[in-house]
Amino acid sequence: MRNKLLAILLVLPALVMIVLFFIVPLIASILGAFEVGDAWGLGNFRKSFELYSSDMIFTVVIVTVSTALIGLFSVAIGGYLTLGENPRAVAILRWLYRWPMFIPFIVVGQILRTFLAKNGLMNNILVSLGLLTPLQTVGFLDWRGIVIAFVWKQTPFVTLLVAGAMASLDRSTIEAARNLGASRLRILIEIVVPQIAGTLLVGLILSFVTMMSVLSVPLMINAQSPTMLTADIAFRINAHGDYGVANALGMISLILTTGVALIYLRQTMKERS
Amino acid sequence: MDDQAFLRVAGMSVGYGSTTVLDNLDLDIAKGEFVALLGSSGCGKTTLLRTIAGFAKPFSGSIEVAGRDVTQLPPDKRGMALVFQSYALWPHMTVSQNIGYGLKLQKRPRETIDSRVDEMQELLGLSGLGNRKPAQLSGGQRQRVALGRALAIDPEILLLDEPLSNLDARIRLTVRHEIRSLQKRLGITAVHVTHDREEAMVMADRIVIMNAGRIEQQGPPEEVYNKPASPFVAAFMGAENLLSMQARVQGDQIELAEGEFNQTSVTARSGRPLATGPVELRFRAEAARLARNHDTAMQGVGHLELRGQIVSVSYPGGHWRHAVRLGDREILVDADAPFNQGETVKVRIPAESLFIFNTSTNTAKPS
Repeated sequence: MRNKLLAILLVLPALVMIVLFFIVPLIASILGAFEVGDAWGLGNFRKSFELYSSDMIFTVVIVTVSTALIGLFSVAIGGYLTLGENPRAVAILRWLYRWPMFIPFIVVGQILRTFLAKNGLMNNILVSLGLLTPLQTVGFLDWRGIVIAFVWKQTPFVTLLVAGAMASLDRSTIEAARNLGASRLRILIEIVVPQIAGTLLVGLILSFVTMMSVLSVPLMINAQSPTMLTADIAFRINAHGDYGVANALGMISLILTTGVALIYLRQTMKERS
Repeated sequence: MDDQAFLRVAGMSVGYGSTTVLDNLDLDIAKGEFVALLGSSGCGKTTLLRTIAGFAKPFSGSIEVAGRDVTQLPPDKRGMALVFQSYALWPHMTVSQNIGYGLKLQKRPRETIDSRVDEMQELLGLSGLGNRKPAQLSGGQRQRVALGRALAIDPEILLLDEPLSNLDARIRLTVRHEIRSLQKRLGITAVHVTHDREEAMVMADRIVIMNAGRIEQQGPPEEVYNKPASPFVAAFMGAENLLSMQARVQGDQIELAEGEFNQTSVTARSGRPLATGPVELRFRAEAARLARNHDTAMQGVGHLELRGQIVSVSYPGGHWRHAVRLGDREILVDADAPFNQGETVKVRIPAESLFIFNTSTNTAKPS
């Protein structure tokens, strides 16, 4: 009896934290999504879809495209780190690729804003090199800017996971393929990636969820319409004090990420069994 | 060039960074021959195999296959297939996909691949397992899939890197014979790396014993077993009993001087390159005979007779093993019947089982 009491006492602080700071706010905002004036209803959702359905598609497309590109780049970098035959190039790449991980999203937005703008650093360089005339320059501060920012920031994180998994593969499975005449690209696609697919999937899902929740990048790079749901949520609250629609938009984001979270759970269950 | 040599390694030095593992090594292997590279871990046998396969680049020297220099060729252009110690099966592919992958890389037509994969599965007793993943197979089956994957591309030379070391002792015995008979049937040239003496003896036409990056001795199993060329080979081939004596070489005779536990004994030189001076004698536990102290039966010509005391008796199976104390040394001697502990006995070693080496000529320490 005393032991049981002690156990509950030990768990209590954590439990209180979770209930107080996670469950209660979550339930409050879910309930808030259904609150229209003094009554319950779907009004907030109707309004969300009327005003922001293009932003929802925009968000899903941007995050999906970014996730795909992150997957591609992380496999390419991890693959070169694993299969590269020039030790110096491998060492340099290994040293370089992690840096963006330590830069906050807001700073990434800031950096890319000055770099990608119509008269930003990138175009200035291209113009001074004579590759473009000032009239031909195009700014990238739209959906492309967001994708570039996301990919730039998240690729190192996924690469870190992927390269680690690749490094712990049985090297002889790679050598066996080489022994039979497989090129490095084939080894990467047919031998290495299938063996680390689980890790890659987990990395991409975590990235997907992270990108769904980033506010600073869309605000810094692309504040016009269409924009991402996070910017809309901030706008509803800051400009209109409209918590109802903000909560409804939040729930829609949550449903989108729940889909990929389920894949994540299935994957981790499979790994444990 | 020698017509006999199908695979020729000439003057090869290999290493990693600044350490040299193999120094100026020569090895010729005939077509259809099964050669075992035998040695303790770290002797360079796996490095030699990996260099032949093309996974390690030699500092100098050359590798030729049928007169063609393959030293600079990538692993897949050498007509060789390597079976890895860990099998290195691809866990995400089925048995059939594993076996057929090499043919797929060669862009063979689908039907050719299927029939070849079926043929390999038939040959290796894997029929009906084609759709399984490696994780669903036993160790022996995995080993056969690895063998099938290597053989499917019809290599001229099969390289085996300790392919049996991950198997249970009992399965290992049967797989030995399976691999050997398969190799004979296919007439394929095989190079097998192992640290297991018995495995090498049973499987190989020729045993190449390596020590510290050099070839200590090579020859048919019975030759390296019965005529070891160095103390290292003698010890590695099981002659663990070691005695030190003074020898005097006179023409075709060797006179072993009287010591605290033996009388002067004269034995035939039999072409041994020995010089007068301190020698070390090696012999196997099963080669020596035990006799009671009062046994005065005539001993054979050239036998060495020692006198010692039984320290302990054990029964490892088939015969009794005795530890016999000779002065400050102990030797092991087998006998069909047990002797009593503490009993004074005579140990008789026939001349042909006695391996004698000059102490100073070779300082290599057997492991």
